[in-house]
Amino acid sequence: MAEAGDLMSRGALPSPVGTAIAIAHHGELIQGVFKDDDGSLHRGLVTLPIAGLRSEARFDRSDGDAVVVTPDHKVKAAAAARLTLDFLNVTGGGELTLQSAIPVGHGYGSSTADVVASIRAVAAAVDVQLRPSSIGRLAVAAERASDAIAFDDHAVLFAQREGKVIENFGGSLPPLLLVGFKANGGVPVDTLQLPPARYDSAEIQEFGVLRALVARAVRLQDPYLLGRAASASALISQRHLPKQGFNEIAEIARRGGACGVQVAHSGSLFGLIFDLFASNLKRRAALVAQQIRRAGFKDVEVHLVNAEGWSW
Amino acid sequence: MVTLDVDYFRDLETPRLARLAPNLVAAAFPLMKLMPARFILDRAASNGELKAGSHIVETTSGTFGMAVALLAAARDYRLTLVTASTLIDAKYKARLERIGATVIALDDPRGDGNQPGRLERLQEILANEPDGFWTRQYDSPGNWLAYARLAELFIRAMGKVDCLVGCVGTGGSLCGTASFLRTVFPHLTVFAVDTHRSILFGQPVGKRMLRGLGNSVLPKNVRHELVDEIHWVGAYPAYRTAHRLLREHGLFMGPTSGAAALVAHWVATTLPDAQVAVIMPDEGHRHAETVYNDEWLSALPGWPCKEPSEPRTLTTIAPAAETQWTRFLWLRRSLDDVLKTREASDVPPAVGAAENL
Repeated sequence: MAEAGDLMSRGALPSPVGTAIAIAHHGELIQGVFKDDDGSLHRGLVTLPIAGLRSEARFDRSDGDAVVVTPDHKVKAAAAARLTLDFLNVTGGGELTLQSAIPVGHGYGSSTADVVASIRAVAAAVDVQLRPSSIGRLAVAAERASDAIAFDDHAVLFAQREGKVIENFGGSLPPLLLVGFKANGGVPVDTLQLPPARYDSAEIQEFGVLRALVARAVRLQDPYLLGRAASASALISQRHLPKQGFNEIAEIARRGGACGVQVAHSGSLFGLIFDLFASNLKRRAALVAQQIRRAGFKDVEVHLVNAEGWSW
Repeated sequence: MVTLDVDYFRDLETPRLARLAPNLVAAAFPLMKLMPARFILDRAASNGELKAGSHIVETTSGTFGMAVALLAAARDYRLTLVTASTLIDAKYKARLERIGATVIALDDPRGDGNQPGRLERLQEILANEPDGFWTRQYDSPGNWLAYARLAELFIRAMGKVDCLVGCVGTGGSLCGTASFLRTVFPHLTVFAVDTHRSILFGQPVGKRMLRGLGNSVLPKNVRHELVDEIHWVGAYPAYRTAHRLLREHGLFMGPTSGAAALVAHWVATTLPDAQVAVIMPDEGHRHAETVYNDEWLSALPGWPCKEPSEPRTLTTIAPAAETQWTRFLWLRRSLDDVLKTREASDVPPAVGAAENL
C-alpha cells in the first residue's frame, strides 16, 4: 500500500529531477546458451562489472510529451526513458542528459550503462526505486540485447535478449584484480553487426559446467573457480569471435599465476583475473602488464572488482 | 531452492551426493542410465528423429534398457529390447515387460552375449519400421554429452575436482564426465574401473562374473586417451565393497558401485590432498538375491575371500582371478599405442599419474 501512496503523491513532487549512475563492465565472465528448469535454451551471460567507469544521467521532467536527449545520438537511452515513464504510468516527457566516461565499441557496455542510468534517473525523478529485475527488463526492451549491469555487482546469469534472470547466484563476485587491455589493435567492434553465435551440442553442455563453476565461486567467494569458468568461456568465444594473440595471452596468464583469462564476447577486451588477496599481487600484476604491453596489446589498465577501498 | 521439473525423470536421474571420506564424494545414482537415455530421447525428439509414437529399439539387457523402458512408457513410445538368453533373468525380463517393453532374448550358444545376432535382429526391426529409432548407447555422442550434468553436480558440491573414478561399460559416464571436468580442470586424473577378461583395455575376452561393467565389444564412447589409470576389479572384492558401503554408509548399491568405491577409497587414501569424485551407477535391488544373499554367496568357490587392501600393479596387461584387483598405468594413450607397446615389451616406468600428482 506504501507504493500506492507514493503513486498518489507524484503530481506534487517538489523537484521533478532525478539523477543516477550506472557502472561499466569489462565484458563477460561467461556467455553462451543455458538451460532453464524446463530444459529450454536461453542465451545468457554473467557480466564482469567495473565500478571505475560510469555513465551519469539526469532527467528533468516536463509537461510536454517529448523526451529530448543530450547528446542527441543516444537514442536508446531516450527510448529507455520513454519506456520507464510508460512503465511507471507517468504522463509527460522531459530532458535527459548523459555524461559518460565509458569508451564505445570495445565491450565495456557503454550503451547499457547509458540506458540503465537513464532508467534509474527517470525513476528517481518520480521518486521510485525500481528493482534490478525491472530495470533489466526495461533495458532489453530499449536496446534489444543488454548486459546485466542493472544488477551492479550482484552476480546473475542474465538472458540478455529476454531481460530475465536464468539463475541468481545469490551474492557478489569475489574481490578481484583485473589486468585489462584491448585485442585486435584496439579497433572497436560494432556489436549490432555481429550475428548471434551458433553453439554446438558439446559447447551447450559445457556452458552448464561453467555456470556451475560461477555458482560455486560466488557462494564460496572463490576467484580460482571464477577464473576457470572465464578461461573456458573465452576459449569457446575464440571459435566464434577470435581475438588475435589469444594463446600468447593464455601463456602469460598461466606463467603470471592468474586465475584465468576473460574476454568481452562481443568486443575487443581481454582481461587477466587475479585473486585480490593473492600474495605479491602488485608486483605480479605489474610484471604481467609489462609482458602484455611488450606483446603489442593496447591500453593495458588495472581494474578492481569489489575491492572495498583496497588501493592499487 | 526446491523447484519442480517439467517431469519427474530429471529428478529421478539425479544422484545423491555422499561424502565417503573428507576428500571423497560419491555420486550415488538410483538408475544412472536415465541421464543418457533422457538426453538421447530429448535430443532426438527436438531434431525430429523421434516422432510421437515412434518405435525405439536397443540391444541391451542392462540398466540402459530399464531407463529407456521407463521413459518410453511415460512418453508413449513403443520399445523393443534385443538381448541374449544368457544375459537376462526372468524377473528382470518380467519387470521390463510390465512397463510395456517387448523383450527379445536370442539364443546364445557360445555364451558371449551374441552381439552380432542381436544387431542383425535390430536392423531387421529398423528396416520394417519407418518410424524406428535406435538409441545407440554404444556410439551416440548423446551418451557422453549427457554427463555434463554430472560434472555440474560435482562442481557445485565440491568445487575443484582433482581425481575422477568410475566404471567403464559403454564409456559414456566416465569419459563424458571426465572430458567436461577436464575442460576446466586440465590436471584431472582419471581412474577407469573395469573387470578381468573385459576387452575394453586390452585384456583377452573371457567369461566375466561381474556384470554391469566391462564389455566384450568396444563401444565408440570409450575414449582411452582420457584415462590415466585402469583398474581391473574381480567380482569378489566388488561384492565385499558393496557390502561395506551398506554397512558403513547406508548406501545400498550394486556390485559395480562396489568396484568403483574400492578404487576410489584407495585413491583418496593414497592422495590425501586430492579431491576425489566417484560415480556409483545403480542400486542393489537387482542383486538382492545374489550379491546380498549369504546362501548364494557361500556357494561361490573360495568365498569368503580376503579383501585386497591395494591393487597389484601390472607391467603387462593380463587377466587375473575374480578375487584379484589389478592396476595398469594407461597414461592417456590410445588402445593401439598401448597394444603396440605391449608387443614391443617396452614397458613404461612404474611411475604414473597418481604418483606424479
